[in-house]
Amino acid sequence: MNAPLRKYSRHKRGRGVAAAWYGIARTATIDRAGAWAELDDGGTAKIITGVTEIGEGILTVLAQIAADELGIRPQDVTIGDNDTARSPEAAHAGATRQTYMIGNAVALACREARKRLVKELAHEWEIAEDDINCSNRMVSTVDKSRCITMSEAVDICKNKGVVPVGSGSFTANHTGLDPEDGSGSPWQAYVYGAQVAEVEVDTETGEVQVLGVWASHDVGRAVNPQGVEGQIEGGVVMAVGQTLMEDYKQADGYPSTMNLAKYILPTSLDVPQVTSAIVEDPDPLSPLGVKGIGEPSMIPTAPAIINAIYDAVGVRIHSLPATPEKVLAALRDKQKSADSEEMQAQSF
Amino acid sequence: MISNQGLTMASFEIQMTVNGREVRQPVSPHLRLLDFLREELHWTGSKEGCGAGECGSCSVFVDGVLMKSCLMPVAKAQHTEIETIEGLEEQGKLSVLQQAFQKMGASQCGYCIPGMMMAATAALKTNPHADREEIKERLGGNICRCTGYQKIFDATELARDVMNDKLPTKTLEEETEQESYIGSSSFRLDTSGKVTGALKYAGDMVMPQMLHMQVLRSPFPHAEILEIDTSDAEAMSGVEAVVTCIDVPGIDGFGVFKDDQPVLARDKVRYVGEAVAAVAAEDLITAKDALKRIKVQYKQLPVLTKPEEAIKTGAAIVHDDVPDNIVMHIPIRKGNVEKAMIESDYVIEESYYTQPVEHAYLEPEAGLAYLDSDGTLVIQSPSQNITHHRHKLAKILDMPVNKVRMIMSAVGGGFGGKEDMHYQGILALAVLKCRRPVRYVFTREESIIASAKRHPFSINYQLGLNRDGLIQASRIHMLSDAGAYNCSTEGVMRKAAILGAGPYAIENLMVDAIGVYTNNTPNGAMRTFGAMQSQFATECHLDLCAETLKMDPVELRRINFLRQGDETHTRQKLESVSMLEVFDSALDISQWESGISNSRGATRSDLGLSGNRPPCTLGARQFQHETVSAGQSA
Ligand code: FES
Ligand code: FES
Repeated sequence: MNAPLRKYSRHKRGRGVAAAWYGIARTATIDRAGAWAELDDGGTAKIITGVTEIGEGILTVLAQIAADELGIRPQDVTIGDNDTARSPEAAHAGATRQTYMIGNAVALACREARKRLVKELAHEWEIAEDDINCSNRMVSTVDKSRCITMSEAVDICKNKGVVPVGSGSFTANHTGLDPEDGSGSPWQAYVYGAQVAEVEVDTETGEVQVLGVWASHDVGRAVNPQGVEGQIEGGVVMAVGQTLMEDYKQADGYPSTMNLAKYILPTSLDVPQVTSAIVEDPDPLSPLGVKGIGEPSMIPTAPAIINAIYDAVGVRIHSLPATPEKVLAALRDKQKSADSEEMQAQSF
Repeated sequence: MISNQGLTMASFEIQMTVNGREVRQPVSPHLRLLDFLREELHWTGSKEGCGAGECGSCSVFVDGVLMKSCLMPVAKAQHTEIETIEGLEEQGKLSVLQQAFQKMGASQCGYCIPGMMMAATAALKTNPHADREEIKERLGGNICRCTGYQKIFDATELARDVMNDKLPTKTLEEETEQESYIGSSSFRLDTSGKVTGALKYAGDMVMPQMLHMQVLRSPFPHAEILEIDTSDAEAMSGVEAVVTCIDVPGIDGFGVFKDDQPVLARDKVRYVGEAVAAVAAEDLITAKDALKRIKVQYKQLPVLTKPEEAIKTGAAIVHDDVPDNIVMHIPIRKGNVEKAMIESDYVIEESYYTQPVEHAYLEPEAGLAYLDSDGTLVIQSPSQNITHHRHKLAKILDMPVNKVRMIMSAVGGGFGGKEDMHYQGILALAVLKCRRPVRYVFTREESIIASAKRHPFSINYQLGLNRDGLIQASRIHMLSDAGAYNCSTEGVMRKAAILGAGPYAIENLMVDAIGVYTNNTPNGAMRTFGAMQSQFATECHLDLCAETLKMDPVELRRINFLRQGDETHTRQKLESVSMLEVFDSALDISQWESGISNSRGATRSDLGLSGNRPPCTLGARQFQHETVSAGQSA
């Protein structure tokens, strides 16, 4: 959408840019995640793992990974999860670790389950395991001379007394930091991001509107591009909130922003248009090459906005949030020093 | 929230239609419509996000009009027709709008979605041709913390176009069978439960014999507890149990990095809102009344609110085992900063500050705990860290690890804020004492004061550069407020230190990240874990340096970026670095015009291009506001 510049000079536009980086999964400590997989009746699959969805879409990502590994569809996958007494440990839902840690654990579990199934079929068909393909819910020989459904393949396997199950444990070998100089390898996978923000500053009220954000992020490999975009858009808007309006206030230890009338959050009217670009630089050290996006999506936004404010009106805001009062005060200071410079110049 | 059970006020008979069903039953007039729907009729699709008309998650139709049901006394809904999210499906099929939300991936945690769906339905009902800007205005009363709204707007526009026959219905369908599902925008498997209100969050769950819990919280930022007298509360009819720290059977204390927080305050309170005692009762009103009868004698102590003061000698002490109040100090040292600064053409210094921030997940904390038939303690809650919580609870309760079962219920937004175990322990104590199921649902106010925030940072930045813009040395000193408990402070300091200097090759580096106890609300894990605060300073500072050097800020970054084979600030060799590629991609999609900042004014050729929304102008659009306040409706 084109947003024509306003005619009136009180509204000033500007642009800023910022870069960022982030580490994937737990910091400076070994990270681990476990998963179980079973190729099930009807050519479906069960995946069990210890921790999944907090809204980011990981359930779907795991189903896509399982579907890809097993040659079935995401909707054929049932995920049982999130129960310390019923599922293997996968540690916590945070640290931008879900796709990386649990995704890889699920892939490894699926590979083992698939191998069990393929081994039985290879025996049945008297061919090598490598000559069997699983895709599109079909199991076939490479030369297509034999082709059965995944459902039939599971039946054959079970009739031979074998349940095609597998388990996976994925490890990220991070090391702790030296206590004196901080040296160490805190992560094995890093991601990078960069964002451009365009703002309009009202020089009479100090109000800043973020009109557009262009965000580019390396995610390793995007399992679900729409989900990646969702994480970028959500992260950008959360950062817009922190940059312009959110402020948890306390006076002498007593909180004063105790409800959503006092603690101001971005609404549909405050948010910029977000344009995302996904860069894929696969992680060489893990089976899937995936990395992550949940947290890094919000890092470059605030400085990009602050730098854009400077571009627009020539004032630098050093403390968040950049409220209208702060911007206005900075504009006045700037005006004052410009005036006094002018006066000095005249007096010479 | 006001409970349905144990009604004490005179009840009257309510008659209404809810999602096409006749309802006629006695009800207490003090209930809000939201309570009546959720607690009496078990239509739990409508959510409570704030209870004060601010978030819209409770939105329903009353006689076809969009209303916030948390603001409406049930008596005002007498003889009305109510429609909730559960009533939107058409003959068992998702409505066009629900399908569009699914297609566009418009729901993440899903907690705002029932209200959002009602508001979007109302928007298109009111104006079937509403454009994007009007849709935004009509959704302006509904908060979503996850999605950034964009996909919600996209979905509403898609539904509008399908409903107006501008797009074929098949646009709503998923792409068909594919070779590979990696790289495909498959439908979210959890969407249908989220767009229909079928998904149950912890606060939606009920069990037979379930008790309701309420928590007494500290009114002081720092005070010694002289005495807690629970006898009056315990004597009340309907009260099953009152719990305090003396009910902890094992080793008290939880935390992500250090177990410095008791389940319920022990000997002293360290922040306003800290849990002191809890009541489990037959209904919520009794539980709330009982809280008022718990007598706590406090002796107030000196209050620390500023990290700069907390590290001075002689300052008050928040935790006795940490006399200097320093929770964690992470240093990074590389090269010779002193020398490199002297040799730099420029040394540029500035200070930066970032504020504490509330996670504001739309779902306030909630939990339902009970004993399994084999004696296993089960806690269902939106915990982001069930494995860790199980360990901590087993130690606190002195139970075998496999007798503590944590189930992560649907999480209505977390962002790190649900990593702390700040109420699951209280629920556990209550269940073990009552041996009945116990549920605890936070109000928004409780959620805000009791849970951890994003760490505020004060950052002093010094950067030494040569005339050509190459960074010679960086000195970054970060002081951060941990608040009253450690929570994730140790990890947040570590991440701030490791990543703070940014994705740049710097030979001489001195970074310190220091987290300090005070009597403020604890600060803990929040999306980026210290990395956004520290890199905020770096990225603002680089622009300041570019101004001084009269350089293009893009160029300044480009020449300093980490490249393949470089070492990080912690001396880790990087095999693969996509920074330049990512940076160029951002410049590319934004059609960035290179040049020095704040010199081109409106002559920049890259302003106002596509990818911007139009600026808001107050009062630009006049449309009839259909949303009326509760008072005007009946
Ligand atoms: S507006 Fe009703 S719960 Fe927030
Ligand atoms: S999806 Fe809107 S609040 Fe989570």
